[in-house]
Amino acid sequence: MTTIDLTVNGRSVTAAVEPRQHLADFLREHLRLTGTHLGCEHGVCGACTIEMDGMPARSCIAFAAACDGMSLRTIEGFDEDPLMAELREAFSAEHALQCGFCTPGMLVTAHDIVQRLPDADEKRIRLELAGNLCRCTGYAGIVNAIKRVLAARKAGRTASAAVAAPAAAPFVPFAAAASAPAAATPPAFARASAGEPGLAAAKAGWTELVESFVVRRPPAEVWRILGDLPMIAACLPGAELDEHDARNVKGRMRVKVGPIAAAFAGAATIERDEARMAGTVRGAGSDGATGSRTRGEVEYALQADGAGATRVAVTIRYSLQGALAQFSRSNVARDLARRLIGQFAANLDARLDPGRAAAPGPAAPGEGLDLGRLVWAWIKDRLARLFGRNV
Amino acid sequence: MKAASFDYARPRDLGEATRLLAQAAGAAKALAGGQSLGPMLNLRLARPALLVDIARLESLHAIADGGDHWLIGAGVTHARLEDASGALPGAEMLCHVAHGIAYRAVRNRGTVGGSLAHADPAADWPLALAALDATAEIAGPKFARRTPVAALMTGAFTTVLADDELIVSVAVPKASPQARWGYYKFCRKPGEFPDASAAVVLDPARKVARLYAGALDGPPQALPALAAAAAAGTVPSLDDIEAALAPVARGLDDIDRRLHAVAVQRALKQAIAR
Repeated sequence: MTTIDLTVNGRSVTAAVEPRQHLADFLREHLRLTGTHLGCEHGVCGACTIEMDGMPARSCIAFAAACDGMSLRTIEGFDEDPLMAELREAFSAEHALQCGFCTPGMLVTAHDIVQRLPDADEKRIRLELAGNLCRCTGYAGIVNAIKRVLAARKAGRTASAAVAAPAAAPFVPFAAAASAPAAATPPAFARASAGEPGLAAAKAGWTELVESFVVRRPPAEVWRILGDLPMIAACLPGAELDEHDARNVKGRMRVKVGPIAAAFAGAATIERDEARMAGTVRGAGSDGATGSRTRGEVEYALQADGAGATRVAVTIRYSLQGALAQFSRSNVARDLARRLIGQFAANLDARLDPGRAAAPGPAAPGEGLDLGRLVWAWIKDRLARLFGRNV
Repeated sequence: MKAASFDYARPRDLGEATRLLAQAAGAAKALAGGQSLGPMLNLRLARPALLVDIARLESLHAIADGGDHWLIGAGVTHARLEDASGALPGAEMLCHVAHGIAYRAVRNRGTVGGSLAHADPAADWPLALAALDATAEIAGPKFARRTPVAALMTGAFTTVLADDELIVSVAVPKASPQARWGYYKFCRKPGEFPDASAAVVLDPARKVARLYAGALDGPPQALPALAAAAAAGTVPSLDDIEAALAPVARGLDDIDRRLHAVAVQRALKQAIAR
């Protein structure tokens, strides 16, 4: 428990709170200020918007423990506020609410719009309201109510002189100095490279990813190594093997992507076509902590790549369901899969040729993929070599 | 939708903050504005053992004139930059970008440093500050270092920051009065994360031409050849932009690729017409 002192609607409050309790729950459960509504509880719907230190903010994604010393104003704290009185009147006149669930958040946002943007037109009002969802009114009444208050206030003050914007001079073309953009990825010995993007061929709801990498060993040797499951697991950051025979494998996979940590447990079957030097791994797994499930298959095929080297072509198809998938709007999983392949290739290479271990070292078993740490370790290693000391 | 249990600490200064992060050895997470971390905690996608609250560290709140650059503290909120419009000569693009981030209630809390450290591929600051050639100052428990923002992010939600490092500030080079910039994003709804985005800075006085495409699978990607062409006064065709995107923006389907190309072209047109 953390003890906090804060001001809520002008009243001093001291309370002991659990750090994990969000501010809206604190207001509703501890202080019985139930005018603050909870809709989505992840910062999307705006129903829980209150004033924190005079500025509107989402109370569902703030934590009460972090509000020590702050001054808060919930919808109840606006009872005597003259601008809020005008807004209440206008909301009523314009039918700006039906069920009323979004209204406290709408009013706090409207209060901010009128105060901060006295010249806002309808387009601007709509833009500023985009973070507050209403399922009843179609927004027309809410926008009209805010327009009504702005118009009434405008009538009461003298128009400010419009300031003419300075005319911009036309663009004059120039020759840009060549600048190499900084490389965000560390050089790895075995580089993963792009193949044909085959998204169109993917099953509905599945993502397909085509990659390849080169290992500096002849195909026959790489083929043998890829049949060595403990070896593969050791090269795949975050992978742990529980049990396996030649065709079936059970194991776990830990992934860490920024603040997200997931541990998938699952099983897979393996098919290997000796003659074609190609294989398929099909499997499924789930992560209890994030309530996520995944199914997927990996196809790989080996081809000679010059003398004594092998190109491994990999096609990954997967589907992801649950919280992780809902969150994964920007194809986080695709980026992760691609980085895993690059890391796997680097680790495999380092194992096959320890003397050449220039790539970031293999992650300790079970540590999970954390490329930030790997890259930093690599930079530190370089700095240490450069300065001949431990940095 | 309640966060899992965690401990909470509010350090008094930066040194204490990095020490706490170092002691936790990866089990702690720095909390700035919490506008991205908050939802992840509530959805229980993130389950740190300790939150180190750096939102109110005064040393992260300054906006300072560094002569040829503006020094923006990592704890500066988007809303402060939005409201600084007209007060930061040479950094007009910062104010424009800040205005377009999420919603005012989010901008009041969310911070520049938090956005960079969170490294969402579709976020505004990793893209805009890469195009602006900003440099991030990073502090750890033992030493400080600098890195270009363009090299900060290594993948989705992944950066070069160690577990015990924090972004302290970003230095944003001032644009000359002749400089032009463009910033375009496709959002399904105002305030949503974009499906495609692009940022360009063309500064004849400094011979700078930088163009980045954002909202990809991983970090924003530089398109230097197109930037040089734009500096010379040519807006490339959509097909040319798609060709330039192909090697750096992998895994896009036809529609995605076109959407990104249009975002790039519109950003370039804005810059040249501005």
